[in-house]
Parts: sequence; C-alpha cells; structure tokens
Amino acid sequence: MTGLLYRVKSKLSIRAHRRVRGVLDGEYASVMHGKSHEFDELRPYVPGDEVRDIDWKATARNGTPYTRLYVAMRKHLVTFVVDTGRNMAAVGASGEPKRETAVLVAGILAYLAHRHGDHMSLVCGDADGVVSLPAAGTESHVEQVLAKIQSRAVPDAGRSDLNRLLTYVVRRTRRRSILVIISDDEGIDDERARMLRRLHAQHELLWVSIADADPLDPNWRTSPIVDIADGALLPDAIRRSSALHREFAASVATSSSQTIDTLESLGITGVRITGADGAVSGVFALLERHNHGRR
Amino acid sequence: MEVINGWMPLVWVAALAVTVAIALLIRRRRRRAPGASVRIAHLERLTALPGYRRARTRMQLWLSIGIALTVVAVAASAALSTRIVTVHTVTPEIHNRDIVLCLDTSGSMTGYDVAILDTFIELVDEFEGERIGLTIFNASAVTYFPLTTDYDYVTEQMTELRENMDDPNTDYAYTDGTLLGDGSSLIGDGLASCTQRFDNLDEERSRSIIFATDNFVAGKQLVSLPQAGKYAKDNGVIVYGLNPGDSSSKNYIAELAAEMKDAVETTGGEYFALGDPQAVPDIVTSIQKQETAKMDAPSYVVKTDDPDKYLWIAFWTVLALLTVGWRLRR
Repeated sequence: MTGLLYRVKSKLSIRAHRRVRGVLDGEYASVMHGKSHEFDELRPYVPGDEVRDIDWKATARNGTPYTRLYVAMRKHLVTFVVDTGRNMAAVGASGEPKRETAVLVAGILAYLAHRHGDHMSLVCGDADGVVSLPAAGTESHVEQVLAKIQSRAVPDAGRSDLNRLLTYVVRRTRRRSILVIISDDEGIDDERARMLRRLHAQHELLWVSIADADPLDPNWRTSPIVDIADGALLPDAIRRSSALHREFAASVATSSSQTIDTLESLGITGVRITGADGAVSGVFALLERHNHGRR
Repeated sequence: MEVINGWMPLVWVAALAVTVAIALLIRRRRRRAPGASVRIAHLERLTALPGYRRARTRMQLWLSIGIALTVVAVAASAALSTRIVTVHTVTPEIHNRDIVLCLDTSGSMTGYDVAILDTFIELVDEFEGERIGLTIFNASAVTYFPLTTDYDYVTEQMTELRENMDDPNTDYAYTDGTLLGDGSSLIGDGLASCTQRFDNLDEERSRSIIFATDNFVAGKQLVSLPQAGKYAKDNGVIVYGLNPGDSSSKNYIAELAAEMKDAVETTGGEYFALGDPQAVPDIVTSIQKQETAKMDAPSYVVKTDDPDKYLWIAFWTVLALLTVGWRLRR
C-alpha cells in the first residue's frame, strides 16, 4: 500500500524541480499563524519564505538573503476533510476520476506536512456516514489517509454531503488545525457559508474544488453519459446542441468563479483543480494565495 | 374491400414488439456496461439550464414526430402487405359476333328496311369487334357488303343504301342483281344465301341474321324457307325474323307467317310480327340485348390491389422519418 504516496512523490519530482519543492516547503511552513520564537538556524532564503523572517544582518554580511528558521514548538495538525461521496468517483475535467485528483492533492499536502513534521488526520464520508482517522505523522499514516480516500470514493458510495462532514468537524475538533477541505465541484450556499465562517474562526482553512468534467465535451462523443447521482442517461440529441454548449460553459464559468468569490469574501483561500496535471501548480497557487492574502 | 393477407398486421405488430424489445435490451446493456459510460457528477448544472429544457422539449417534439411517423409508416406497410383489394364481379361481354342483315328489298318492305338500317347505323357506334354484313335479296341475293369490322365503311354503305331506299325518285339501282332468279321474293333462297355469308365456320363466333321479310314468295325457289331455316341451324346461325306482313289486316298470308315463325324458331331465334316501322328500333335493340345476354361468359370475381396510396404514404413517411432521424443525430 505504499503505492499512493509513491505516486504523489513521483508526481512532485516530475512536476516540480527542486527549487519549486523548496518553495512549496516554504509556503507550507508559512500556512499556520504564530510561530515559536526560538531561533534554530539560518539558511539561504528561498522564495516563499516570509519576508519578515529574513535576517537582514546576515543578508548584509553574506550578500545574499538569509532566512531565520525557528524551532517549531508544537506540531501542527492538518485535518483533511474529504468528500468521498459518489460524486468524487465521477469523471473530472481532465478525464480521470476526480478521486485520483483528490488523492493527489491530499497526497501533496500530506507529504509537505509530513516533511514539516506535522500530524495529519482525515475526516471523510458521504450522506451515509462519516469516518475519521486519528492524527499521526508517519509516512505510513499518510499512506493510510490516501488509501482511505481512494477506497471510499467509489461509484457505489452514498451521495455527497459536505455539510455533514463540516458539521462533524465543528463538533469533534477542539484543536486548532489546518483544515484542508477537498470538495466536490459544489457551490457555497448560505448554510455552508455559515459553517465555514464558524470553522474559519478556529482553523486555517484551505479549500480545494475538484472540477467536474464537461458533459458536453466532444471527447465523450462516442460514449453515453450518465448522471452519477441517479444513473440517468443524458440524451444524445441534447448533447449536440451548440447553443446549449455555450450556455453551459457560461454558467459553469459563472458558478465556479462565484464559489471562489464567496470563499474570498469569507476570507478563505480556495482553488479549483481540474486534474492531476494541474494538482502541483494548484496546490502551489493555493498556498501562495493563502500566505499572501493574509498579509 | 377485402384483404388477402389478413394475418399481416399481426406479423407487423410482432415485428414492432421484437424491435422495441431489442432496442430496450441494447439500451439496458449500454447503461449497465460500466466501462462504456462516462459518469459525471452535477449534471443538474446542465439540466437546470433553460437551454437544456428547450433542447429537451425540442428533442421530445422530434421524437414524437418520429414515433408518429413510424406508426404511420408501419401502418401503411401493414396495409400494403395485407393487400387490401377491391372486389369487382366482372361479367365479360364477348364481342366476337357476326351479324348479317338480311333484307328483303321487295317494294312492300322498304319502310322496314330503312328502319332497320337506321337502327344499325346508330348501333354500329357501340360495336367493338363485332362484324357486320349486309345482304339484300329479292329473287336473288346480293352482298351489299361482306362481314367487316370497318365501321366507317359500314356506316357509309348503310347510309347510302338507306338514302337510296328512302328517296321517292330512286332509280332502284341498289336493287341491281337481286332480280336474277325465277320470280321474285324468293325468301328461302334469300335466307340460305345470307347463311352462306358467314365465313370461318370452324371459328367459335356467334352468328346471327336479322331477317326482314314478309315471306310473300312469288316464284319458284330453290330452297324453301323451312329448308333454309334448317340450313341456318346446321351452320349454327340464329335467325331473328321481322315480319311486317304478319298482321290481322293481312291474314290472307297468315299461313306464310306461321311458316316463317317456325323456320325462325327452329334456329333458336325469335320471331317478331310488326305492323309499323316505328317498332323496329325497339325490336333490334332487344335482339341486341338478348344476343349480348346469350354471349355473356360466366361472371367471375376480380380482386384489384390498389397499393399506390399506401405505397406513397409509406414512401413519404419513411423519407420524413430519415429526415427526423438525421435531425436528431445532428
């Protein structure tokens, strides 16, 4: 079962050269507010480090920027809140199941957390039930988390119900943590916004939407398209309507930017990831925006 | 209205049912096959759009048009293959008749001859394959024209003869050659001569003679009237006799009339006694009818397919169906 994390690592090494990986580490390290002030060491600045951590004297001495690193006083907790309803088993915008993208995104963040020495826990589930994995920091735990997501998000799973997961988190987590919400490509209504506001007060929130496939995509021309929620077939004749194509594209663009806007208005950073290819850059953009938006 | 393949609609219904069943089966297979179908979440993003509803309404409209067309096409095809036929009872009229007008041209007969000719001039228009010939006789018989189907010629000749007969200042040229016998009005000879006007006796044709005479013989005949009647009968010729002499005012020749009646009736024909040329047309017409009735072959039933209508309906609906199908696939 070491396959999932291995895949995440290889994706990272293919997609991101060393410098970017360093940046990712740096960005990740800056996610959490509040650091210990016990100095640990100096190291050359890498992009993504907070500017206020730059040791200007050391920089002046050496001619290149240096960053002060502090000893982490306590380990952070990263909680992955993953919607593993059947929607996550549907085909994503890039053509692979959204589950794979979700696993990859969770894997990248979990790997970063693991390298940072943080613990991570998982809350996942659907309308039929919620399961959670307790916090731990080992590589095998990362693997477990990913395997859980992978095995839960199947077409036979219950309906997606993100609010139920959020309620679960509201009730169960006392400790301040980094909440990574990996959601289906859903909008944010008032109730959900209320819950997010509530969670935002306690935690650092990172929102990831895994984009749905376009049912009118010409790539699917030859295969029947089925609604994963109820198995209803999308009639062929309708799929060929070009007017509908345009209307749908416009409405999707509106609704996904609306989701991001709503999140922004709540002070939450969100990103919409279309597939495995966009996962690394998506996570990078997420962390970067999160760190920069805060300042 | 009758059908030949009455069971055909059942076949079509069965075929339709089988087709629908297969289509449903394929549809279910397709939906169940996990690899083949693309499962997509949040299709309601699409289905909630007004454009989707419009497209669906349009599709349903086209589909219902397609279904209606299919029903019509199948119904037309079923009707076509059921072979709805119209049933006619056909009584074929046979026109292979030979008629010889055998006219006594003795002076007393002229009015009747004219009436007979008038009637036939009119009747010729309705002839279709009948042959008609004209023989006049007094002491000897002359073929005015032989059996022919050239009706223009027949009309022309009969009109000419009629005009000559009717003309009060006639030179009687038309009677040339009729006075060569021993005496005049040799009736038996006349009828026998007329009988000989029929040719191709081995062919199966109906042969009849319209025989107009008063049977007032004045001279020495070679053949007596009864002998001539028998001769006609032996040759299969039916003789219809018109006798203007047979009336109470002329009962001095009643015996002759009886003789003629017998002779005519031996041939299977009919005998008409008349006192007025006015009666001729009716009699001739009735003879014609009688002849026709005798000639009628046994009637038989003809069933006529009328596929045009259904063929065109099927053709156009199938064409329309293809258009609808193309519209739906587009």
